[in-house]
Amino acid sequence: MPRRASAPAAGFDFAGLVRQHQAMVFSIAWHMLRDRAVAEELAQDVFLSLHQHLAEMESPEHVQFWLRRVTSNRALDVARRRQRRPMVSLENAPEPVALTPTGDPLLGTALKKLVAALPEKSRAIVVLRYQEDLDPAEIARVLGIPVGTVKSQLQRALALLREKLSRSLGEIGI
Amino acid sequence: MNLEDELRSALRRQEASPDFTERVLARVAAAPVRRAPRVSQPWIRWVAAVAAALLLAAGGLEYRDYRGERAKDQVLLAVRIAGSKLNKAQRKVHMLAHRSNS
Repeated sequence: MPRRASAPAAGFDFAGLVRQHQAMVFSIAWHMLRDRAVAEELAQDVFLSLHQHLAEMESPEHVQFWLRRVTSNRALDVARRRQRRPMVSLENAPEPVALTPTGDPLLGTALKKLVAALPEKSRAIVVLRYQEDLDPAEIARVLGIPVGTVKSQLQRALALLREKLSRSLGEIGI
Repeated sequence: MNLEDELRSALRRQEASPDFTERVLARVAAAPVRRAPRVSQPWIRWVAAVAAALLLAAGGLEYRDYRGERAKDQVLLAVRIAGSKLNKAQRKVHMLAHRSNS
């Protein structure tokens, strides 16, 4: 965990931290939950919690690590609670329509939907890998799971996404 | 198509609503003040533990001195009592010896 004392706790400007990290916190929640209102509520709760723990923060890196960990874990909790309601699994999810290769907003939307249909833990791993650009060791630290689990779940998630997408692209003849 | 590049593009960060920071600050202002834990730093716990140990040791030494003083007083009292009894016995022996001589 990054705990280098490069800035004293007393030196943190809370409003500045919110402005600096709101996109990261909100996006982790948004990509995990696909519900803007719930994601904003969760992000606010995370920053409220940060305010209560601000005295424990030892460096800007520590703040960022703490925010990623708390946001991921809370989003996982919400996603698990939601999963009790009937949901469509990735294998049974409807195929995305009108896909075209690279840079297409529709492809992006389809990918987001497919990511949202992944199992919660795999979803969190994919979001931290491709939104936050973390390597497997960093993801393992954030989620508190072994690196091997991160690597295997990431490979499995990518294989599922690739299979689903290629099937869709094949169907529309690309 | 490179899936990983597409994922990076699809999952790029997005801004929260424009008034997000203000709403967070409003919630912080409205939230009850959380009392800081009484002992938050590990070194404070160590200092408290060492101080408690020193107090206990000092108290133990003091109590040992007190017990020693009490024991000494009791020994002196016992010696005084024994001395007085011995004097009485000695006086009786003298009296008996004086009577048998006369």
